Amino acid sequence: MSQPALINRYRWYELVGIYAGIFVFLCFILAPFVEGFLVSLKPLGLLFSSPYRFWPENGSFAAYYTMWESVPGFARYIFNSFFISTIVTAIVLVLVIPAAYAFARFNFRGAGVLLGAFLAVNMFSGAVLLIPLFRLMRTFGVLNTYLAMIVPGVAFLIPSAIWLLRTYMMRIPRELDEAAFVDGASHFYTLRRVILPIAMPGITVVAITTFIGAYAQQFIYALTFNSKSEYMPLPVGLFAYFGRQEVVWNELMAASFVGIAPAVVVIFLLQRYLVSGLTAGAVKQ
Amino acid sequence: MGQLNLNRVQKFYGTFEVLKGIDLEVRNGEFVVFVGPSGCGKSTLLRMIAGLDETSSGDILIENKRVNDLPPVKRGIAMVFQSYALYPHMSVFENIAFPLRVEKMAEEKLKAKVEHAARILHLDQRLQQKPGMLSGGQRQRVAIGRAIVREPKIFLFDEPLSNLDAALRADMRIELAKLHRQLKATMIYVTHDQVEAMTMADRIVVLNAGEIAQTGAPLELYHKPANTFVAGFIGNPKMNFLPVICKGVSDAGVEVDYKGQTVIVPVAPQAGLAGRTLTLGVRPEHIVLGTGDLTLKVTPSVIERLGAHTVAYAAVGGEGENFCAMLPGTAAIRPEETVTAGIKVADCHLFDEAGIALERRVELTAIDMGVLDPAAA
Repeated sequence: MSQPALINRYRWYELVGIYAGIFVFLCFILAPFVEGFLVSLKPLGLLFSSPYRFWPENGSFAAYYTMWESVPGFARYIFNSFFISTIVTAIVLVLVIPAAYAFARFNFRGAGVLLGAFLAVNMFSGAVLLIPLFRLMRTFGVLNTYLAMIVPGVAFLIPSAIWLLRTYMMRIPRELDEAAFVDGASHFYTLRRVILPIAMPGITVVAITTFIGAYAQQFIYALTFNSKSEYMPLPVGLFAYFGRQEVVWNELMAASFVGIAPAVVVIFLLQRYLVSGLTAGAVKQ
Repeated sequence: MGQLNLNRVQKFYGTFEVLKGIDLEVRNGEFVVFVGPSGCGKSTLLRMIAGLDETSSGDILIENKRVNDLPPVKRGIAMVFQSYALYPHMSVFENIAFPLRVEKMAEEKLKAKVEHAARILHLDQRLQQKPGMLSGGQRQRVAIGRAIVREPKIFLFDEPLSNLDAALRADMRIELAKLHRQLKATMIYVTHDQVEAMTMADRIVVLNAGEIAQTGAPLELYHKPANTFVAGFIGNPKMNFLPVICKGVSDAGVEVDYKGQTVIVPVAPQAGLAGRTLTLGVRPEHIVLGTGDLTLKVTPSVIERLGAHTVAYAAVGGEGENFCAMLPGTAAIRPEETVTAGIKVADCHLFDEAGIALERRVELTAIDMGVLDPAAA
């Protein structure tokens, strides 16, 4: 039997403690998902049966079919969410990559102040600024359009994205920029051909966090700046399952799972680019 | 092509003067090595020549054209970095081709040039690999390849071998010397390793605390160091310094007294030295067992047997500094056993109170001036 290295060896009670800890925290995180999934399998009538049964009796995927009929526009809501988040992510990346490069590499006046200001902006949630934003949107005449949800989303996601990517770019050896500069490359050329490919894992992280952030925060902008149901994103769409008399819990849960599926797929695809060790061989460290 | 002039080049970081007015002329095709301890400003000077660091004052001229305000590529220089600075996501071919791609050179011509450079550096089999798959020596060759495709007037090397292990470093030294002969280009090379400086340079520039301590051919620095700094820096182990009192000056040289022994050191005499304290310098390799013109009783405390040589360290005269001798490999000495060590006056160096050397009367034929100065040959 191969022994693990000394530093990785634990006594039996240490192992029990470690796994017990992992179990407790996993329960906390996963229990709502499990419960939500089980609820989506139960017929509505059985949900409030007493005593409550954790495991569904005559469970079926029926809710996953009926949900499309109870809220006919649901597919559109999923598309809207996905569309808004994708556009927000794309705009954020286009703006943030050169900005993060500038913050990582150039010494310019006010760089520190600006970075501090970005952090400060992050402390306000969009909700605090809803009224001024509403007036702004009205003045520009973009209320009740996709833009009303995209623009504030982009604005609030840029600061943290710059911080994230700047930190990553600072880890790329400066000699690479200098070598490119000595060879006559301009800053944009260097960014495009040298920094961008090497920063791909960092950019992927930024893309994922931005996408998730946009997915999560569009709710509040949608409620405030948009009243057209055809532009509504998923979280608002879920409200449609709250009927006048009752909440269709099983369909609501099914809709939630279906709604986050596209986001999960995107994250899963992007994950491929999270390759570590991409700078191997660049410089001797 | 490839002539470089520095006129009173200065560099300040804030109020701190890193380089204190450097004047230097590098001839076309010369291999010049900047050497000095860390922090002496040698890398800064190189980066200023490259155009990576601003010059605070003074002029940098390449082919008699002031280049202070030109970007590196317009200066006609290429630089090889200590850390190689290869682009990890590009193949060896693309790494070498990078400067040509920047120039937007036609594909045909570019391919021919890259392949030519790869042949010179024995990288033809590696062109499709990524830098991560190469050994340290190969990576450094790729970095050199990226420099040579551009056919610059001047090559700048910033400690290119210091990341390699000792054996590889020796190989690369030979390859670089060959490359210099093959390309006949001007090369400026920064190192803190005096072996690299001595073996590759046509001319060495020794820098100390932002100033040029001495410029000269390797053997010139070894035989005629201009001051105690150069004397101590060039040569390994380091030169021994003994305090002596000047007794008098004559045509034969300067008569000095070391603890009751009086010898005449054959150096250019200077008036007004009598009675002053001078420094006698003698290299470890010039100390022999037995008596000499000057004889010392020493008790070695540590002995290092290197095979070819034996290096013995002893404290002399109670000062903290070690007295060091390099003896034959089979020298019959033991730690803590007092031996007699002899020094010939002809091997001695003499420095005044300010550390400036009194010129030695070295038999010039003995060190062949043709080797020393390529211009004189």
